[in-house]
Amino acid sequence: MSLQSWSADGLLVPHPVSPDEVAALLAMVHHNLEQCRIAGLSPDWRLNIAYNGVLQAASAALLAAGYRAPAREGHHYVVLQSLLYTVGLDVTTVQKLDTLRKKRHTATYTHAGRVSDREARDAIELIDGVCADVEAWLQSVDR
Amino acid sequence: MNKAATRRARWRRESCLRYVDLGSAIPESHRAWYGSSTRHTALLANVPVWGMIIPIMGATTVGTSSGRALLGQTRLSVLALLYGRPDEARYLNDIVRAVGAGTGAVQRELARLTAAGLLRRVVRGKQVYFQANAHAPVFPEIRGLIVKTVGAVGVLRSGLEMLGDGIRLAFIYGSLARGEETVASDVDLLVIGAAGLFDVVSALAPAQETLRREVNPAVFPRAEARRKLREGDPFLTAVVEGPKLFVIGGEHELAELVR
Repeated sequence: MSLQSWSADGLLVPHPVSPDEVAALLAMVHHNLEQCRIAGLSPDWRLNIAYNGVLQAASAALLAAGYRAPAREGHHYVVLQSLLYTVGLDVTTVQKLDTLRKKRHTATYTHAGRVSDREARDAIELIDGVCADVEAWLQSVDR
Repeated sequence: MNKAATRRARWRRESCLRYVDLGSAIPESHRAWYGSSTRHTALLANVPVWGMIIPIMGATTVGTSSGRALLGQTRLSVLALLYGRPDEARYLNDIVRAVGAGTGAVQRELARLTAAGLLRRVVRGKQVYFQANAHAPVFPEIRGLIVKTVGAVGVLRSGLEMLGDGIRLAFIYGSLARGEETVASDVDLLVIGAAGLFDVVSALAPAQETLRREVNPAVFPRAEARRKLREGDPFLTAVVEGPKLFVIGGEHELAELVR
């Protein structure tokens, strides 16, 4: 598996690297990582905001690698899995992100209140780390 | 012979363990009892034959549960498969593969259970399908037995038990607990304890594979669950008051939480 084979399968589309687009996404990542900590938010919502942040970070890494994931069914999954090949994240971490994807999906579309404070806290801690890894990787690619 | 094989051979010799083929010793009429393979591991050398040899039946072990104590392994496996997913009809070879016993043994169980009205036999084209009979008078009881022993509850329990004291209470809520699940239903699971979401998800990964259903755990530390219940949290209140299937702990642990 590689980004090229995903591109051949139509899961990804080649996209010319634009530093401005990457920077804009990173700004959104920072914004979301701040917003998810605002006092008084429900855990569902905190998880949702942090999740958006990590999705944007993974998209930024994909863009830097010359691809984007077209919006279609399953594109969240593809974007998160791509971290294996862009940043080189370990499988366990990507599996945890996928757990959050499912969690956020059910919390958004089926049941409100299904996320505990503890789950939101664990999610934000994980996502913080992943976003930091993405930024470190982007800087290493820049050089 | 490589080192490992030498060690294995020595171990077998020293522990008097032999692979024996019981094939020729089994009368044709009893072959079905032995499943597809007549090769069994038995402690034979230097052991006087005092009584009958209990064959190791080929059915996939589905746990050392109360269900296993009540029913034979193959029958329990067949019931677990078909009553575990009462909405699915499966054909013979498919059942044999999933149960892991011999074709003869499975066929015999299917015939008995169908004759007793517990299964429905449906012929579609050239294939014969079997399905749990939802109209059987004892359907809810058998279904309950299966779900609580080798079905979803048993499978989830064996996963969660890996986390030991990290979980005080866990139960299934939602469509499965109401007995209204469909092929597409997920398993909704409330978990109370110190374990984290990621630990719970990885402990449940094999269960998810076995059940062929998405398992969605919501993990609450005890203190948080108690506080939210006191505050009248709509989700936790509805789940605690609704139908549930206990996986870890029971009414006692629930009462402690709500008190």
